[in-house]
This record gives sequence, C-alpha cells and structure tokens, in this order.
Amino acid sequence: MALNAVKRDIPSRIEGYGNTGEKLFEGAFARKPEGFRASAMMRSRGPNDPTKFLGSVKEAIAASGLKSGMTISFHHHLRNGDFIVNQVLDECAKAGIRDLTLFPTALFGVHKAIIPHIKSGVVRRIMGSVNGPIGQLVSEGGMEVPVVLRSHGGRPRAVIAGDVHIDVAFIAAPTADVGGNMSGRAGKSACGSLGYAFTDAEYANCVIALTDNLQHYPIAPISIPGTFVDFVVQVGVIGDPDGIVSGTTRVTRDPLRLLIARHASKLIEASPYFKDGLSFQTGAGGIPLAVTAFMKEAMKRRRVRGGFGLGGITGYFVDLLKEGLLKKLMDVQSFDHEAVESISSDPRHIEISADWYANPWNCGAAVNELDVVILGATEVDMNFNANVNTEADGALLHGIGGHQDTAAGAKLTIIAQPLLRGRIPCVVDSVHTVTTPGEAIDALVTEFGVTINPRRRDLIDACGEAKGKNAVPLVPLDELAERAKRMSGPMSPLRQGDRIVGIVEWRDGTVIDVVRQIFPENISS
Amino acid sequence: MSSGETLPAAQAGTVESMDCLVTIAASSGGRRIEISGSGAARFRSAMENKIIQVLDSLGGPGDLSVTVQDNGALDIVLGARVEAAYLRFREAMLR
Repeated sequence: MALNAVKRDIPSRIEGYGNTGEKLFEGAFARKPEGFRASAMMRSRGPNDPTKFLGSVKEAIAASGLKSGMTISFHHHLRNGDFIVNQVLDECAKAGIRDLTLFPTALFGVHKAIIPHIKSGVVRRIMGSVNGPIGQLVSEGGMEVPVVLRSHGGRPRAVIAGDVHIDVAFIAAPTADVGGNMSGRAGKSACGSLGYAFTDAEYANCVIALTDNLQHYPIAPISIPGTFVDFVVQVGVIGDPDGIVSGTTRVTRDPLRLLIARHASKLIEASPYFKDGLSFQTGAGGIPLAVTAFMKEAMKRRRVRGGFGLGGITGYFVDLLKEGLLKKLMDVQSFDHEAVESISSDPRHIEISADWYANPWNCGAAVNELDVVILGATEVDMNFNANVNTEADGALLHGIGGHQDTAAGAKLTIIAQPLLRGRIPCVVDSVHTVTTPGEAIDALVTEFGVTINPRRRDLIDACGEAKGKNAVPLVPLDELAERAKRMSGPMSPLRQGDRIVGIVEWRDGTVIDVVRQIFPENISS
Repeated sequence: MSSGETLPAAQAGTVESMDCLVTIAASSGGRRIEISGSGAARFRSAMENKIIQVLDSLGGPGDLSVTVQDNGALDIVLGARVEAAYLRFREAMLR
C-alpha cells in the first residue's frame, strides 16, 4: 500500500488491473507522455476486393475475427436508446465467444440486458462507466475483474498511449454509406455529434459500422471516414429515438435549485472571466441549465459577447449561438433535437472528438481553453476533493464523464449542488471516492451561498468587490460542513469489504482512488 | 396494510423526496422497526433512535411494528410522521 497525492491508500498490486507502483496519482498535471502513440493493424481494401457490405451483425462478428478474450468498443451517442451493445453481445454469446473486455465510452440503463452475459462469462471485464443495475452488480462483487473508470479525455488518452488496445470497434451510425463513411447528423436515429467514436475508429484493429440509414456513396458531410472502416452492416434500427435525444430540455422550476443557479451566476459575473470572449460548459443538468439561463440574462445586461460553448450541447447553447451571445459551439455530444438540428445546419457548430475535447496528452484539448465550467458532485470534502462516482451507500453508480477534464482545464471550476440530497450531506469531512482532486476545483455553490477554495485568493477578492445587487454571498467550508452535519445527523459507518471492484483513474492514467465491495444490509433490523 | 387478521394499522407521510411513509401496526413480538429506502444505509441508527424517542414520548406500547419507507427525510420530518402515524393508530385501536 502507498498513499497517493490525495492521501488514498492504493495497493501496490490490484488483482485484474496490475501493478500501481508507477501509476499513483501525483497531481493534476504531474504525469507527462513518453514515447510514441500506439497504432492499429494496417489493412487495405482494393478495387477487386469483396464489398464491405455485410448482411448481419453475426456475419460481421465472424468477418472481424473477434475471438474470446478480445476487447470490443462502443460509443454512447445513442444513450438510453441504444440497441447496438445488447445486440452485439447477444450475437457474441451465440457464437460462443467469451471473456470479452467491454470498452464502451459509457453504459446506460438500457444495457442492463447484458447482465446475463456478465454472469455467464461472455463479458469478463468492463472498462467504462457502470450505473443502475450493472453498477449495483459490480458494487456487490458481481464481477471477478474490477471495472476501470476513465474520464472522457482519459479514455482516448488510454487508447492513444496504448494502455488499452481495441480489437473490434462497433460504431452505431445514424447515417452511413457502403464505403463506411459515417455521420450522426441525419437518419431516423440521428444523434448529432459522433465525437466519442473517432479515436476508436482510428485505433481499432477492425472497425464495423452499423447503420439503419444506408446511403449511396458518398454521404456528405462525413464525420468518420470509411478509410478506417472494415465492414458496414445494415440493421433494422440502431436505437429508439426517444432514448437517443430528449425533447426540449427545460430549466428547473425548483426554487432551491434556482437559488443555487443564481448564486453561481453571480460568482461568474464577479469573476475576472466575465468579459468578451467568455467560454463555458454547463452540460444538461437542472442547475447548470438554469445557470446558463441566468448567464444569458447577465451577458445581455452587461453587453458581454461570449466565445464558445463546449461539451454536451443543448438547445440552450444553440439559442446563445443564434442570438450572437456565443460565437461557436464545440460539440462532443448533442443532447437534444435542437442541438442535432444545429450541428447539421450551422457551420459554427463544430463536431469534436473526445480526444480533441479533453485528452490531456495531445497538443490542444478544448477544455484547456475553457473559462468556466459548472459541474455537480455527490460529495465534496474539506480539501475540495469531489466524488461523482459513488453514492452514500458506497455503490459505484456513476461514470466520470468530462468532470476531471473540464475541472482541470477550466479557469473557474464550479460545483453547484444542494447541501443535502434527501438526508445525505453533500459536504463531508472526507469523500468516499476521490474522482477529481481539490486542486482542480475552485468553488462550491449551495443554497447557502458560494464557498471558494482558499487557494483562489484572487476569486475571494473579486467576490468581495461585488456590491449591492451583484454581491456574492460567501460561506466558509467548515460552516457548511457543520450545517450539513446538524441537519442530517450522525451517519453510520459504511459496510464495505477489502475487495476492490472499481478503479478510478485520473485523466493521465494514474490511480486516484479505488472502490471497494459493499455489503447491502438486510432491510429489517 | 395490517399485519394480522383483525389488528389495525395506520400510516402517515409520502414517498416524495425528503419525506417518508411510516406505517404502524400492532405486533405480538415486541417493538419491531423496519427501515428501507435512501436513508437506510447511513442513517439507520439515527432513525431508529428518533422513532423510539417519539413513541416513548407518546407513551407508545412495546408491541408495535413500525415500517419506514424513506426518501431522505430529516429527523424532524421522520419524527412528525411517526407521531401522526401513531396517533392515527391509537385512534383506530379505540374504535
């Protein structure tokens, strides 16, 4: 065992993961790349070779050469509407393939259908987020090999650095042609950006495009070119449109959350970043969307023109673009119909890969240009460390998403969260799991006000200068923690074992924390 | 809702966020407390203490079964729900 830079005890060897000696988290920007990028097997297809077009997933699996023990990847742009992961694993099971490493960019509730394949050994390992029933299964020790969690930037870094090699990438494509050119912009399953799939297409030994909208060669515009693609399969439907994109996302009407959003937007307005060119990321959560709405009001009032909006894009960001309050959108994931429509029609709405978005080991991740990001967390502690992975009962139920990447990249990283979720305090002495270190977090905003990381003396001063209607209510962290304790009452200790069921990698591939098996109690006592 | 054929039971509360649904019924085997839901993992003992404290303060008998379906109720809410459920239960017993 050894302590890493956030004082977590990390065993020197983790069964099913490897040695951690060289891979202890040392600080947000401590580890630098060495050596060369990984590569994929070279393949070619000449004019006299057979067509790429295959009739079924089953044929494609056979043609890809997929064997037991290999690694398969998927992207999550179809979100909770995805049919592809379940279908491919069903076919793998039928073909007698076992011990697969599943390497999705994220899994959703709809993927609980793969639980039988986990139990039967078709899937041996998951590298990617787990949630809902799969997360519960993993947390209770249902997999022999620990899950490895990586951020949106950490995942492409791991592929490009050679930590993970993809044997076969299955890419759901809302539109594709027989040459394998792909786009997410059109088709009945349109999802907008295909950003998470780019690196997989480039680094996998075999790439299979699965589409329910096959077009003549070539489609335009093209997101992922057919030069990377080995096979094209036409399937009935790749997903359920209702689960792929949401309808118009709406700002929360919960007064508590609106108050938090109001505090957060006051902090942004008081910060030195609130000026022409301001760039920000707010995602699709209730509070962040409300912050976006308040920011829009403030930008109009103070005649500030923003630069770009980043990350998962919603209709709110599209409106800011249309009204000239933002100049560009950089979109790794299009959340709603408005975003899909915009990326398909407006050249200022740019599709970016996860590598471009957030990989710490390239020469220009977009997160590095961010001024402000609004994030959530299940817990924040006295060192400002944030947990987004585990719940109060210790269950591993959430992925990292872009949390680590945007927190590290942005000049002002804000966590906006109610002080209590139900009875569970959001501010604690020490988080159960460290996802993002306190050094990357600048402020916590709750209904009681704004709490600034003492490391950011400049921000405390800037808030002090905001007066009158723009005054920022500041609350010290220890006062928040006290208040949370008083309201929630004493917490019973967690019942957890020694066995490690999950590893949380920092975006540079070092181990920032581990998640241990939990033993849910009997309901009665 | 009743745990026996003829024994009455009473309820108070909801399963809305930050509330809980408390069901109180007669029991033959002493006081039994069952807690499920979001607070169960980390606040079981605090919740049990609160329930016992409220029942004792109302002079509640030992033979009671208390079932709490929790959705994040604070102690003050839990106490009020237990009190209301117990008073309804007592009324039902008198009928």
